[in-house]
Amino acid sequence: MDIDFLRTLLVVLLFLPAGTAAAVALLGRRRPDAVRWLSLGTTVLCLLFAAVLAVGFADLRATQDEAGKAGPESGSRGFMNFQPEIVPGAPYVTKDAAGKPITDANRTDWDLISIGSGSVQFYIGLDGLSVWLVVLTALLMVPSVLISWNSIQERVHEFYAWLLLLETAMLGVFLSFDIIVFYLFFELTLVPLFFLIGIWGGPERRHAARKFFIYTLAGSLITLLGVLAVVLACYHQTENTVLTFSIPQLVKAVHDNLNSSSAEVRAFWQQLQVWVFLALMTGFAIKVPLVPVHTWLPLAHVEAPTAGSVLLAGVLLKVGAYGFLRLCLPLAPDASLTLGVPLIGTLAVVGIIYGALCAYAQDDIKKLVAYSSVSHLGFCMLGMFALNATGLSGSLLQMINHGLSTGALFLLVGMLYDRYHTRKIADYGGMAARLGLLACFWVFICLTSIGLPGLNGFVGEVLVFMGMFEFDSDVVNGPVLAIIGTSGIVLGAWYLLTLLRKVFFGPVKEPEHDGHGPVPDLNGRELAALFPIAALCVVLGVFPQPVLDAARRDVDVVARIAAGARERAARAGQQAGIPETGPQRQQGERPHTGNAEKVR
Amino acid sequence: VSNSLVAALTVDTQVLDALTDNFAWIVPEMILGAVACVLFVGATFRVSRHVWAAVSLLALVAAGVALGATLPETWQRTRAEVYASPLLFDRLALLVKAIALGAGAVLVLFSWNEVPDRQAGEYYGCLLVIIAGLSLTGLANELVTLFLALELISIPTYVLLYLPRHDSGTQEAALKYFLLSVFSSALLLFGFSYLYGLAGTTNISAILQSFSTAHAADVKALEDARAKGLPAPESVRPILAQVALILVVAGLGFKITAVPFHFYAPDVYQGAPTVAAALLALVPKAAGFAALVRVLGFVLPASVLHEGAGSIGLALSDRIPTLLWILAAVTMFLGNLLALLQDNVKRILAYSSVAHAGYMLIGLAVAPYLKGPEAGSVEGGVETVLFYLVAYGAMTTGAFAVLAYLSTPQRSVETVDDLAGLSRSHPGVALLMLLFLFSLIGIPFTAGFTGKFLLFFGAMAVPSAQNGLLFQVLALLGVINAAIGAWYYLRIIAVMYLRTPLRPLARRWAWPGLATLWVCAALTVGLGINPGSHWLMEATRAAARGAPVASPKEVTER
Repeated sequence: MDIDFLRTLLVVLLFLPAGTAAAVALLGRRRPDAVRWLSLGTTVLCLLFAAVLAVGFADLRATQDEAGKAGPESGSRGFMNFQPEIVPGAPYVTKDAAGKPITDANRTDWDLISIGSGSVQFYIGLDGLSVWLVVLTALLMVPSVLISWNSIQERVHEFYAWLLLLETAMLGVFLSFDIIVFYLFFELTLVPLFFLIGIWGGPERRHAARKFFIYTLAGSLITLLGVLAVVLACYHQTENTVLTFSIPQLVKAVHDNLNSSSAEVRAFWQQLQVWVFLALMTGFAIKVPLVPVHTWLPLAHVEAPTAGSVLLAGVLLKVGAYGFLRLCLPLAPDASLTLGVPLIGTLAVVGIIYGALCAYAQDDIKKLVAYSSVSHLGFCMLGMFALNATGLSGSLLQMINHGLSTGALFLLVGMLYDRYHTRKIADYGGMAARLGLLACFWVFICLTSIGLPGLNGFVGEVLVFMGMFEFDSDVVNGPVLAIIGTSGIVLGAWYLLTLLRKVFFGPVKEPEHDGHGPVPDLNGRELAALFPIAALCVVLGVFPQPVLDAARRDVDVVARIAAGARERAARAGQQAGIPETGPQRQQGERPHTGNAEKVR
Repeated sequence: VSNSLVAALTVDTQVLDALTDNFAWIVPEMILGAVACVLFVGATFRVSRHVWAAVSLLALVAAGVALGATLPETWQRTRAEVYASPLLFDRLALLVKAIALGAGAVLVLFSWNEVPDRQAGEYYGCLLVIIAGLSLTGLANELVTLFLALELISIPTYVLLYLPRHDSGTQEAALKYFLLSVFSSALLLFGFSYLYGLAGTTNISAILQSFSTAHAADVKALEDARAKGLPAPESVRPILAQVALILVVAGLGFKITAVPFHFYAPDVYQGAPTVAAALLALVPKAAGFAALVRVLGFVLPASVLHEGAGSIGLALSDRIPTLLWILAAVTMFLGNLLALLQDNVKRILAYSSVAHAGYMLIGLAVAPYLKGPEAGSVEGGVETVLFYLVAYGAMTTGAFAVLAYLSTPQRSVETVDDLAGLSRSHPGVALLMLLFLFSLIGIPFTAGFTGKFLLFFGAMAVPSAQNGLLFQVLALLGVINAAIGAWYYLRIIAVMYLRTPLRPLARRWAWPGLATLWVCAALTVGLGINPGSHWLMEATRAAARGAPVASPKEVTER
């Protein structure tokens, strides 16, 4: 496909929802149907664009890999960096020392604001870490629009305007390769969600919306300080002082400084990283959420309208995890190893168990699903902080799986609620007899969420735990964490199957409902919302290889950075005279190939 | 003998020429003053707010045209000329003038329908004098001129606050403001008298030059002592300079509502008419920061600068950053925490203006460390303060304009609950208020975000060799405050959007009010996204360098 076409398409994909949001807001409250159809059309179009871009991206990477195998640089062990493809505004042309122009097809020259000697650039693109999350976002928007079709009757135009603005913000987070633009979109996601929860939410909506907003804002402001600290430290410490906000360049600068020949510079960066890690972690941990700072999540999830919950669980929680993957690990690799693994690893395991137990204790279906998110995101973080290619790709896959299965679960909760206006587990019983099709989907999606082999959840979980089993250091015992974490799967099966048994099986107990006659089963609109997700769950379960392939190179980038951190830690340990055991194994060094084959 | 006499005479003619030039520079202020006189007299013959508002708007336009026509032609001034001039026309002066005229136009539109016909003449007369005062503040190169400019702002403000005199609250506000303002002026004068006593001149550039030289000597002596391993020598700068510094900062702290000089703000904002509150939130703050920047030596003319290049903002004392650090931290925390407790929107905005003064003080506190060879050149000092000032002006004036637009003589919008369900009854106005409040919080794509981002960027950019950690802590305090601040702004947003109207407000349509809102909104958005923010940053950068005003001819030649 023509690269210029793809670049234009990327910009269109990012701004089309925002443009439609403005149009929808202008349509006004008189024409709700026009608003709904316009929103549906836009989200479907965006999904189409995202799919085209993903295919284009996979093609590009495939041809590059072909060329790379033939080329002289194959198997080079040098520093690997994130390589965004399809960058609008590329190529970026600089001059080298001799004045010869160098063109870089992976950088943009669209400046937003120049600050000092550098500038914040409108630097967007796709790489292996982001491409599937972009598709996931575009995919989940369609059911979000569909599920709100009848359940949102008040201020319809405002609802869809905020929903579409949220899509732009979410896509922006995943597409950004400029650290400030990333932050801009990261904060922008708060605004539409605040209104979605606050206006169309449940009885506690105002409290939930404000708690969500303040929690996340406070965290992300501290993240901003961490971001600024990295940017400025790179500026002050690097030889040719050009201020840069480009994520790949910052990653490179951090890498160079950490491997600097001057012991002073190395010591400075070792110390700085700890602070950077803590600052970045604060914002992302709240967003994920990790256990002590998760309290906004059950409240926001339960109060949000169905579409809000779907996007919150499906996409926005991934924004936090993605932030760890894109910024925290590459910009503070040593601190991620020495501080992050024990800290996040423990919190993740605690989250898995705690979230599962809380989920079991709930009497409200939606709260149960919300706590199951806490538990599942624990798997995701555990895999990520195994810091090797297996764990990282498992973590990435788990993000997508969780987006699909939990997004679908919230859709199903919404469908049940639309019919009976209650979410109490005790109000239901034997519903499979009344709503056969809905029950089928419930059982199926619960099984993917549990991680039944052959469905998507299984592949991600296995990779995560394999990654963690490989990990070992003198501080953290990877297998122990993995074993404790595995019990989360058992617990997950326990609470989800209990839920299924209580609600759908056993003696029939149907709650009161307004209409006359039997409550209708799923209609075409609802089927259209559910079916693509369910189909993808199967596809990813039996054939995850294309997803992993497209992501492989960038997962390797992160894995290699982590391996570099291990080497440094090992060296420091040897110098200090401590006998070194674990880190020398350097699992992350091994190029990541064929994990999925092993799984299958 | 005759040769030296000739030389002296030629210098004097140059100086005289420079002084004559000075007259041309204040033509805009003269126009404003003259029209103000016409208004004061004319108000006795004709009672109409439309007429007098239109006349003031025309006067502001005329002043703008005059400003364009009188931009200095020759701009590379020698030191003798700078020392002799009571005025200094550099890019900072130009920026302050532009801010003043722009703020004047917005305030005229704002008050078009808010001022009773009976008082319109006096009201607009006072407003024009205040604008002239603000415009003159930026030009001042002389303690006397500066004080005169500040009083030109203060005295008409007393009149403005007292004009409505319809209830005891207003009278209390006027009296409170009057007494505290007079007190602060006295403090300021006291500080100025020390400066004069120490330097032997009232020319600001000359004073700063002498202190810069002393500062350079101090730095050198300290380095020598360090090299020889001796204890740090005593400063050659007299300790009285610090007394002067504290008095000046206290006097100007009143204008910028820095804690602990903020006590009047909530009561006065609440008691005063909304227009006057908006004016108080904007004009004295701009004048106060311009004066601080001038007197403390954050911006020096090129001919003065070259000797003490490292002494931006440190001329009077090395402790200025520490002083401003404390002032910034206390101001942010107190402003934000007290705003949490308020129910009256005007009081919230008053405390918010206190808090925003705190954010701006961060920029001044870090400015001395951002231009050295170690720091390279990054944003975040004086230029950011100026940027933030414009952004703050747009969003705060906008928020006040919303309150004024929704108020009717029968029912004024005072409490947070009055705004309940605004998104239903006035969707457009609610959307604009939302924009201003998001900008005050610092949500991306608004002026408030760009400003805060640059301020925190500057605070993080202080090199670690120069107490970088201290200022990184200040940045941390800043973001904590931004999060605290979000709570009370969000409360207003929640009331507007998430609640149903309690007592629906009357719908009205008035073009001047709408025009004010739209101008403020355009600025708030425009400074948050690219071309606008970039343009203002260029202007503030030039102002912070103390760059000369290039005449149009030279621009085309370049």
